Amino acid sequence: MNVEQVDFVSVPTRDAARAVAWYLDVLGLPVSDYTEAEVETPNVTLSFWVPEEDNIPFAPNESGIALRVADVHEAVEEVKAAGAEVVGIEDTGVCHMGFVKDPDGNVLILHKRYAPRVPR
Amino acid sequence: MHNSQTTAGIGVERTDFVGIPTRDRERTVKFYGETLGIVPNRRTHENFPEFETGNVTLAVFHPEEMGMEFKPNANPIALRVRDVEQARKKLEAAGVEFHGETYDSGVCHMAFFSDPDGNALMLHRRYAPYSDGSTP
Repeated sequence: MNVEQVDFVSVPTRDAARAVAWYLDVLGLPVSDYTEAEVETPNVTLSFWVPEEDNIPFAPNESGIALRVADVHEAVEEVKAAGAEVVGIEDTGVCHMGFVKDPDGNVLILHKRYAPRVPR
Repeated sequence: MHNSQTTAGIGVERTDFVGIPTRDRERTVKFYGETLGIVPNRRTHENFPEFETGNVTLAVFHPEEMGMEFKPNANPIALRVRDVEQARKKLEAAGVEFHGETYDSGVCHMAFFSDPDGNALMLHRRYAPYSDGSTP
């Protein structure tokens, strides 16, 4: 089988309208033209779903979705000013990672790799 | 990607990766690389394998090695394949168990399964055009 691409990444929420508004207002991600509960990053769609509507217990995604920004520290300050929970900022030696949570507690990583990739 | 509304926000340039938590890196690498046939990124650190799906990277990490609790991701990542039934049959032959029958949403087919750590995945194919006639 051939995986052509990732069509969307599911993001759990307890309030899809709140989620869409937050991703638009705070992150600046546009709402899909076609689907109410989706927002678009330039390369992949984030699709909100409400597990409790399907009788599945809600649990936030803590595995992280990494969003590239020009300046991690600035971006973290901006989402903090908008009321988001900031977990912390890490410098891995090759990138900055700003761990923040959306209103449902899903972990987002504001990410910028500053080191070039080198072959192993 | 289809959108019209934009605001400044924090200026997200793209999605760099989606995290895949594991308790057994070797098993995960085998599953994504061999069973699913997704191309590994050869330039990553050996403790953080990555797979390139074409538009976004899947980044494997081992939370327990990093002092964190392992929690599988219950929220499916939708992998586009040409034919969901055909791909499902191949994965089933490789021992992958699917959760229920393939779902027809009216615009797409979806078949739900999990990786060996219990992270949710989905085979996905939209077969209907969008409202403006364009297709995925």
